[in-house]
Amino acid sequence: MSTTTVPAAEPDSWAGHQPLPTVAPRSERALGIWVQQSLIQCKRLLIGWMRDPSTTIQTLVFPAATLIMFRIVLGDSIQLATGRPAIYGFVPMVMLVAAMSGSIVSALGFKVEKMTGLLGRFHTMPIHRAAGLTGRLLAEAVRVLITSLFVLAVGVCLGFRFWYGFPAAVAMMAIPILFAVGFAVMVTALATLTEGVMLVSIIGIVQTLLMFFNSGFVPVYAYPTWLQATVQNQPMSTAIDAMRGLSYDGPIATPLWKTVAWTVGMIVVFAYPAVRGYRRAAETGA
Amino acid sequence: MTAVDNGSAADLFAGVPPARPHSFAQWRALTGRIVWVMATKGELVVAVIVPLVFTLGFYLPLKYVMQFKGIHYEQFVMPIIVLQTMSFTMMSNAQLAAFEAMTGLNTRMQTMPIGRMVPLVSRQSAGFVRSVVSLIAALAWGHMIGFRFVAGWGQAVLFCAFSLAVGTVLAIGADGLGSLTKSPESLSQALTLPTLIFGMLSCGFVPESGFPAWVRPFVRNQPISQFSFALRDMADHGVTWQVFWVPLVWLIGAAVVFTPFAVWASVRRS
Repeated sequence: MSTTTVPAAEPDSWAGHQPLPTVAPRSERALGIWVQQSLIQCKRLLIGWMRDPSTTIQTLVFPAATLIMFRIVLGDSIQLATGRPAIYGFVPMVMLVAAMSGSIVSALGFKVEKMTGLLGRFHTMPIHRAAGLTGRLLAEAVRVLITSLFVLAVGVCLGFRFWYGFPAAVAMMAIPILFAVGFAVMVTALATLTEGVMLVSIIGIVQTLLMFFNSGFVPVYAYPTWLQATVQNQPMSTAIDAMRGLSYDGPIATPLWKTVAWTVGMIVVFAYPAVRGYRRAAETGA
Repeated sequence: MTAVDNGSAADLFAGVPPARPHSFAQWRALTGRIVWVMATKGELVVAVIVPLVFTLGFYLPLKYVMQFKGIHYEQFVMPIIVLQTMSFTMMSNAQLAAFEAMTGLNTRMQTMPIGRMVPLVSRQSAGFVRSVVSLIAALAWGHMIGFRFVAGWGQAVLFCAFSLAVGTVLAIGADGLGSLTKSPESLSQALTLPTLIFGMLSCGFVPESGFPAWVRPFVRNQPISQFSFALRDMADHGVTWQVFWVPLVWLIGAAVVFTPFAVWASVRRS
């Protein structure tokens, strides 16, 4: 733009404005455009979250406080009863819970965007149709990574260590992100279907149940016998087992495959409703 | 018809009976309005389910762990479940007050011939209805896991009365905050953290010996622990004055602080 030097006679006819640069027409369906615009959407959401103090508190302070509370209140009692440090269950558990509660906040933000007409406006512009959804999922992944790193830092202060070196650590940190993307697809699909208040109540109750009944809280054998199979195979437990295996002790392969199966399953089941719901929200938004 | 002759505006309301504003009828109408919304929008169902989630969520996983300390966990954990249920009422009341302040309902009420305290009192009454429903549900779920009132009817009634008093005092404070901040979202965040800290760092889940030594003085003396001591005794073998006076002082102290604050926040004009 700075390259167009305006001739002396021109300013009158342009009333002092520079002529607009000519841009080659681009298809809004091109793959490159999709990637580019997803990144723009992702950046937009991240900047919005960063500047909103309540989101910052939600993503950083709450998980850290929860982890510290669990460690102080139950850490010693659980170690006494089970004979192994509880922190290797708490850190993964808090990471996953933070990923889930964050995606609920994100789903509420999505509803606000629909209500204020932002989604509808995007839909009238030459933007790749999938960029809104993928940008949101990407932003989710980045947020979960930041939260998980913060939780990890607090966890290290409380005695959490990696016993299998750097590659295992990276693999462990990838699991919450994987989990969060699957969960976010599900929540997005539900958010396009239901009303806000009920959504928060229902997902809140499900999330609380998942939080109490997983293998990171207390070992599976501490639950009643009839409940053990459910607790062991629910998505949070498999993810926690895999993460514990990668950082401290325990099987890795089986829980890892189960986690991947859960995530892929959630994405397969809820991707189509999410895409359809997102599209409908964009088309019918105020 | 008579108004046509002289055209004076005063006769426009000639056929209307004179208004007799009465605070009791206003309180009944406003309370009924909130309770009706709670009953029809599914909030009361949530008020019944939340204690179940707390009961199962605390009891089933930790029962095994607490056996190692020789604790009958169903008796031990019930007070904190009831208190958690009451904190849920507190949250709902805060949301309600913030919502009414945010949407301008409070301002509108203040322009009408409605008793100054009526909106606040009716919110509290509706919250009380919710507390009672939640408490009954919590005790029913507790009975399911094996919780019993061993000390007789008098102590059981005291248990219920004291729980409801705690819930009401908390709700009064939260109501004041809600009227003041007018923001349901930020309020729910502001209340979650203290609830987490006071709830977890109490002797409700874990006896004092389960905590690291440096945090024990706080854990032992903070109000939620003291409430749980009193409630536990009421369910078990009857509470003595030695145990009861500390939580009672906490409760009365909180009421003395919260009530003027809530009244001020509710009647002031912004």
